[in-house]
Amino acid sequence: MGEIIEFKNVTRAYGTGEHRLLAVDHISFSIQEGEFVVILGPSGAGKSTLLNLLGGMDYATEGEILVNGTNIVGYGDDELTEYRAKNVGFVFQFYNLIPTLTSFENVALTKNIVKTAFDAREILTSVGLGDHADQFPAQLSGGEQQRVSIARAIAKNPTMLLCDEPTGALDSETGVVVLTLLQKMSREKGKTVIIVTHNAALAQAADKVIRVKNGKIRDVTVNESPMAVSEVNW
Amino acid sequence: MLFRKMLRDMGHHKAQFFSIFLMAFLGVFIYAGIGGEWIGLRNNSAAYYRDTNLADVWVYGSTFTDRQQKDVEKLGNVTGAERCLVLDGTASLSGTPKLSLHFLDTDTITTSHLVRGKAVDLSDKDSVWVDDRFAEAHSLNPGDSLTMTLNGISLTKKIAGTVYNPEYVYLSNGSSVTPDFSSYGYAYLSKDAFPVPQKLAYNEIMLTLKSGTDASSVESTVEKALGGNVSVYLARKDQPSYAMFAEEIDQHKAMGSIFPLAFLAIALLTMMTTMTRIVTAQRTQIGTLKAMGFQQGRILRHYVSYGFWLSLAGSVLGAAVGPVTLPKLFYPSMSEFYTLPEWGPALDPSFYGMAAVTVALCTFVTWLACHNVLKDTPAETLRPKSPKKVRHGVLEKTAFWNRLGFNPRWNLRDAARNRVRSVMAVVGVLGCTALLMCAFDMNSAMHSLKDWQFGQIDRFESKLSVRDSATDAQIANALKETSGQAVLESAIEIKANGVKKSANLTATDHVTLLQATDTDRSPISLPEDGVSLTSKLADQLGVKAGDKITWHLYGGEKWVTTPVARIYRDPTVQGIRLTRTHFEDLGFPFRATSILSPEKVTQKFAGMDNVQNTADLTAGWDSMTASMMKMIVILITAAAVMAVVVLYNLGLLSFTEMERELATLKVMGMKSGRLRGLLLTQNLCLSAVGFLLGVPAGQWLTDMIMSMSGDSFDMINVLTPENVLLSLAITFALSIFVNFLFSRKIRRLDMVASLKGAE
Repeated sequence: MGEIIEFKNVTRAYGTGEHRLLAVDHISFSIQEGEFVVILGPSGAGKSTLLNLLGGMDYATEGEILVNGTNIVGYGDDELTEYRAKNVGFVFQFYNLIPTLTSFENVALTKNIVKTAFDAREILTSVGLGDHADQFPAQLSGGEQQRVSIARAIAKNPTMLLCDEPTGALDSETGVVVLTLLQKMSREKGKTVIIVTHNAALAQAADKVIRVKNGKIRDVTVNESPMAVSEVNW
Repeated sequence: MLFRKMLRDMGHHKAQFFSIFLMAFLGVFIYAGIGGEWIGLRNNSAAYYRDTNLADVWVYGSTFTDRQQKDVEKLGNVTGAERCLVLDGTASLSGTPKLSLHFLDTDTITTSHLVRGKAVDLSDKDSVWVDDRFAEAHSLNPGDSLTMTLNGISLTKKIAGTVYNPEYVYLSNGSSVTPDFSSYGYAYLSKDAFPVPQKLAYNEIMLTLKSGTDASSVESTVEKALGGNVSVYLARKDQPSYAMFAEEIDQHKAMGSIFPLAFLAIALLTMMTTMTRIVTAQRTQIGTLKAMGFQQGRILRHYVSYGFWLSLAGSVLGAAVGPVTLPKLFYPSMSEFYTLPEWGPALDPSFYGMAAVTVALCTFVTWLACHNVLKDTPAETLRPKSPKKVRHGVLEKTAFWNRLGFNPRWNLRDAARNRVRSVMAVVGVLGCTALLMCAFDMNSAMHSLKDWQFGQIDRFESKLSVRDSATDAQIANALKETSGQAVLESAIEIKANGVKKSANLTATDHVTLLQATDTDRSPISLPEDGVSLTSKLADQLGVKAGDKITWHLYGGEKWVTTPVARIYRDPTVQGIRLTRTHFEDLGFPFRATSILSPEKVTQKFAGMDNVQNTADLTAGWDSMTASMMKMIVILITAAAVMAVVVLYNLGLLSFTEMERELATLKVMGMKSGRLRGLLLTQNLCLSAVGFLLGVPAGQWLTDMIMSMSGDSFDMINVLTPENVLLSLAITFALSIFVNFLFSRKIRRLDMVASLKGAE
């Protein structure tokens, strides 16, 4: 397993002059293929910006972001779109399912983006929602919606799954179910999974923990023997 | 999948999407419906005129010879000339109806359209071809024989066929505007059918001109070729039937072009606000699609297709349904009045053009709204839009502000913060008010026209038309028996400042039964020793009292130049008025053409046509204005529907935009009633501004329509308090009604969900 992601001195600045604000301030780190990574930090630390930069949803002002050895900093809109389509599967805090499409249709939407997307029904079954395929998001519980959202993210068979507070809107029990699913994606399918959270407990389950504060990396620790999510004491 | 999303989104936001569809439909429906009506009239009449080779010029005179006809035919720009003898006779039927008998030399110009029986055949001297509507009124059929009387000679012919003639699209005996097919008609016969074997003294030559030739440009050469015995040179545009029908079409066109454009403008405005709102509401979904890796173009196409399909469906339906439905409302009453072989509505390419423009604009507006959201990075798009900056306005620095309560403060700030929405609300209400005002103004102008003519100007009870054949003794007898007053009415041609117009002359012999009116409708008396001119004509000729005008009677070649003694205003007849004495001083012989009587005359008099009482005249007026009134009703209805849609949309728009704020206020413990008050205050204030601006806009629209309504009508556009109040009542009733619809929404407002909604 080699390095799949590498941040080199990445900065994201908003505003200019006196009002210049560094959301991400000269950050460097790397992530191995198949790792289950947790980015920890208090709110406003720059975690989400980091994830957005990696996900090709925002532009870095300085530095290099290497994904599979290619620098995506400097990509134009079309190249970033292409990059997102092939490499990134997003899981959002509020699921962001299309409310007017059923679970199945939300997942099948990926076929419209990449031809090689997995069969939507199979993926839904693999997240345990095979029998909820024809229900609309509003008819599902929060945990179920988030599982549909994970199914939608992995259906594209992306290089990495990026999850922004995936359990933020869920109760802890449901949260465990969702996180277990994400860990499974990493352990069994070899997907690189990156989770942004402010819940420090999750660190025990991660292969690598990146702690962020005030836009800077405080430390990066590699967990030699990560626990299963279900064993973590919340 | 995205297509399914679109369909479900449409199902979800039924009201808004339906309003877009409805707006597109309504705009194009009205445009294509009224367009189909008048373009249909224009096309059908044009086809009728073309197929029957309607003359471009009628020349009346005495004894046009074969030689003269040949001479005229040889003139440049003249493509054909045909002689006929037209005489007034009567038919031996109940009521001794008048019949205009045309004895034809040849039949190539102004030919008849066959309705029943055999086509006109001039080699058949034993047959007559009768006006079909006359035949219908008297239950005559081909094969029947008809006895006619002409200058005391009677002739009996077999009816070979019944026809329509393009010279008589509008047929009137001159004394009333409404045609009476049972008392007046026309018939065509071969020249060989003339009862006395002699060389016919043809009194009419019809000419066709090379296309594009102005009839007045050949007037002098034609008159020269005809050796000067020309009494009337009548260009097609002045021919009574042609002119009347053309004017009718013009009026419809005026209503049919301005109104629909106003509709379309409001429709587009509504579509614009709605599409913007829909796209903004889907901001997060757009962000999600972007994050998933959908191409920008793909997302853009998806959202643009919402506006595209809806406006396409609406406008195609409007363009298809409009022309087949609306004209049907007009044609029946018009066919009482006019005679055309075809009454079908037209499908003009401009309808599809208008539909295409609607679709293009709606699509463009959607594109614009979507483009704004898409130009941000996906990360920004996923975040809720940062709240707009609020600045302290000038007003807030005054002491006045501090005395304001929460409601006005909140509303003033909200309106200032959401300027686009506020402006749209004002413009939407403005448009609806303008349409309503215009429809009501037209309605009262039409009514006041009727009241002006029949209640103020016409003081007589009965009007008798004097037959051309009446003797002086017969006229004198009728005058005496009815205590009548004699009037001479004639068509004239008038010119001043290089402008030439057809108009009317009224010479009065001690007439007190006609009240002249000033430009503001106040009664005036006209000078005894001068020529008075109507104000509308004066404006067209660019003259004022004291200036010189030059005119001559149709039927005479003598031009006279007189100063304008007085300007007066007349609602329906434009021209000049003078006394008998002055008329005779100018060198014209006075012979009454009508007799006005203060009594209700029921008796018949020798030498007089049927008597018309004021009731007949007003009924005639009503049937003439029937299609105009129908149009006004349609417009009022459409304006009201549009007002509901616009106000509902704007209400919905402000409600959704303020949902979070309202929920917050509700959480804080503000009662639903007070919240409703907040919304109502804002809606009413914006409606009030829109209304105040809409009133003058409506006046302007009315002026535009009136100025396009032809030469003879002179309508007064007055802002009446009733109309203002009526429009005010409708606009505000709708505004409150729409607010009521939202009051339920406020009561049901889910505080938790609407506050949690945005991340």
